[in-house]
Amino acid sequence: MTQHPKNAWYLRFNQWQRLEHITLIVSFTVLAVTGLPQKYSSQAWASTMIGGMGGIEATRLIHHAAAVILLIGTIYHFTAVSYKIFVKRVAMTMLPSFQDAKDGLQNLAYNVGIAKRLPQMGRYTFGEKVEYWAVVWGTVIMAITGFMLWNPIATTTVLPGQFIPAAKAAHGGEALLAVLSILTWHVYNVHLKHFNKSMFTGKLERHAMEAEHPLELAAFEAGVRRPEPDAVTLRQRMRVFVPVAAVLSVALLVGLYFFVTYEQTAITTVLTQKTEIFTPLTPTAQPVP
Amino acid sequence: MDQCRRARVTTAVLNRLSLVAVLCVAALAFLWWTPAHAQDEPVLPLQSSLAPDTACRLCHGDTEAHATLASGEVLTATVDLPALAMSVHGASAAQPVYCTDCHQDRRRYRYPHEPNPAETVEQFRSEVAGNCQQCHDPADMHNPGHLQHLENRDVPNCVDCHGGHTVAPAAVMQADPVGTCQGCHQSYDDPKVESVHAEIVANLEPGQTCETCHAGQAQPVDAKCQTCHSLLTRQLTLESGETVDLHVHASDIYTSVHGLRTLDGQQYQPLQCTDCHKSQVFNGFPHLELDATTRREVTIELEGVCTGCHEEIAQRNHDGIHAKAIAEGNLDAATCADCHGNHAIQDPDQPRERVSQTCGKCHSTINDQYATSVHGAALLGEDNADVPVCTDCHGVHDIGDPTTTAFRLKSPELCGKCHADRAKMAKYDISTDVFSTYVADFHGTTVELFEKQHPDQETNKAVCYDCHGVHNILPVSDENSQVIKQNLLVTCQKCHPDATANFPDAWTSHFKPSLQNNPLVYLVDLFYAILIPFTVGGFLLFIGTDIFRTIWDRVRRRKQNNP
Repeated sequence: MTQHPKNAWYLRFNQWQRLEHITLIVSFTVLAVTGLPQKYSSQAWASTMIGGMGGIEATRLIHHAAAVILLIGTIYHFTAVSYKIFVKRVAMTMLPSFQDAKDGLQNLAYNVGIAKRLPQMGRYTFGEKVEYWAVVWGTVIMAITGFMLWNPIATTTVLPGQFIPAAKAAHGGEALLAVLSILTWHVYNVHLKHFNKSMFTGKLERHAMEAEHPLELAAFEAGVRRPEPDAVTLRQRMRVFVPVAAVLSVALLVGLYFFVTYEQTAITTVLTQKTEIFTPLTPTAQPVP
Repeated sequence: MDQCRRARVTTAVLNRLSLVAVLCVAALAFLWWTPAHAQDEPVLPLQSSLAPDTACRLCHGDTEAHATLASGEVLTATVDLPALAMSVHGASAAQPVYCTDCHQDRRRYRYPHEPNPAETVEQFRSEVAGNCQQCHDPADMHNPGHLQHLENRDVPNCVDCHGGHTVAPAAVMQADPVGTCQGCHQSYDDPKVESVHAEIVANLEPGQTCETCHAGQAQPVDAKCQTCHSLLTRQLTLESGETVDLHVHASDIYTSVHGLRTLDGQQYQPLQCTDCHKSQVFNGFPHLELDATTRREVTIELEGVCTGCHEEIAQRNHDGIHAKAIAEGNLDAATCADCHGNHAIQDPDQPRERVSQTCGKCHSTINDQYATSVHGAALLGEDNADVPVCTDCHGVHDIGDPTTTAFRLKSPELCGKCHADRAKMAKYDISTDVFSTYVADFHGTTVELFEKQHPDQETNKAVCYDCHGVHNILPVSDENSQVIKQNLLVTCQKCHPDATANFPDAWTSHFKPSLQNNPLVYLVDLFYAILIPFTVGGFLLFIGTDIFRTIWDRVRRRKQNNP
């Protein structure tokens, strides 16, 4: 094993991934800040927050805007991951495996002193996979239930009406789960345990690599590199990928557009009921002065 | 010496004067008993049984003599003796009444009579009348109205009303009291007074006389008003041609809330007419002309009579929709009297259905709807004390505009006031979750937030009455209810025109999710109620062990370094 300086850095995330993450931070935070007060609207704090954001209609509008950003990010992620899988054909290191479960249990056993050593993990630890797939699961749930809430008439032409309040319950429950997960799992693992800045700088220090991704570090130091397809193969793959990805992306963006504009759920005016007010009994009862 | 002489002279003068006096008395006595002139009738012998006025009667019973007074008026000397005999001072009198009892100062009435000092007939009569009090006492209890005007030279005296020689029994005068008074009071300076008076006189009830109004003691103003207006039946015609009935049932006030009453332990006397009708228009007679040209204006102007005492209510009413409408020129809007009445005011909410009847006078269509609603039917049918009447939702006096955004936003709380009241709803087996489930839903959440944050900003999210109806709310068991299953889609479509058959089920029908109602919602809630603590608990457990291990390692390392 060649010696590396203590302060060596390893590239972990490229700028596109970092930008994705920043987009996710912004949209997720905005969604949480505008969404949770709606879930708890009868609470004073929630009411204060909604008031601070310009009222419930403004809050909903911001929530919807953030949802659109999140979904655009999701569509981008879908395309970017497809590119990696189908064009670059990189190893799908984010896929959960049985080993992850074993790693998690070993880590827990180590913490309580049962296991002798920490699990040796590669590019993505079991904890990171939990986070990634939680985001995927959460986004799918939130997008589906969000669509149902955004388009209840369209939804109920296919599904029973009760799915709407059920979707609302799921949307709120999932939101709470997501926020609490971020506040516990994410905050502890990348902010408290040690402040992992790689998602912003792109780079991870050697000692962190040693502690968290020893297998990846070992492979890296052993000279294992991601296999780059040659130019001809790349061109061949791109010839298929670009049109398919373009069509899919455009289809997803069009879907998003429909998501937002599909139906006019309600009239925009206040419902009025006209009643004749002054209909005196005849002869009009008049007091005698 | 001088003194003696002076005494002698004095005695002589006195003796001479005494003689003159005796002669004079004798002469006067002679004159008294001597007839004025030769008579056709035989001269009656002087007897002690003769009445002292026999001579007067002999002479004045049959003479056409008369005297011309300084005023030029002729005073006749003729006395209708038969009529005098028929009068109360005649044969039927308890004690004989002689001519000189009334025509006093005997010297003047001795014959030949001295010229009467009276310059007018009226003076002559006054002088005679002055003697009535010799027998009829006290006079100040009598002839009352007139005595209040003693300084007036035209004040009538006894004779003016009762007559002279033909003085009639009181009963005769009382039989036609008006006629008696009208002997003098036949015309009025103000024709308005005359016509009113004529009507009152014509309407006098048995037992009522001029004195009913023109009593001895100064009458309280209130009594004057009441007497007059309870007798009046005329209509006042306004400029518009409309008429106002001037008849007032005076007793109405005593049985009204303004009658004898005890409030907060304090006893109040019945209100007097002028307590309310303070204005110059009503005070004093004849009244001034009204400014109002229509009946409506009269009613509206009279609102002022209430506000003097009911200041707080008047202030609130001023902020109310009716007062505002009037201010904007809609004179149809209600004033105090339109709702409360005037003289016969009773508790406005006793019984409670009175409220609905009162409002219904002008808002009849709405009241008809209300009468068929679940609330109205219970009120009108069974005098239910729990259902709202008009004022429970709309307020009293400071009634707000129910078409404003503020009212709309406040309305769920208005309904919730009763419908979230467990004790009240338990009686009718109605769920009190209706308010909380509404607020938990999209519509309610929005409306409540608007109400708290932007009470003046419009939101079109449904409030209770958008679905349930306003005045025509029906029980959910009624087939015409807007919110029962088979009618709900139509109700939803009022705001959601594209809604289809499944859409109404998106509303949880005020049920808290359970396995029976909205089970899918219940299960989703249950799922997250388990998943969230399980997941987050798992995270925290792991984090806990991780922190534990970190500290443990650190402690161990320190021990190794510092054994």
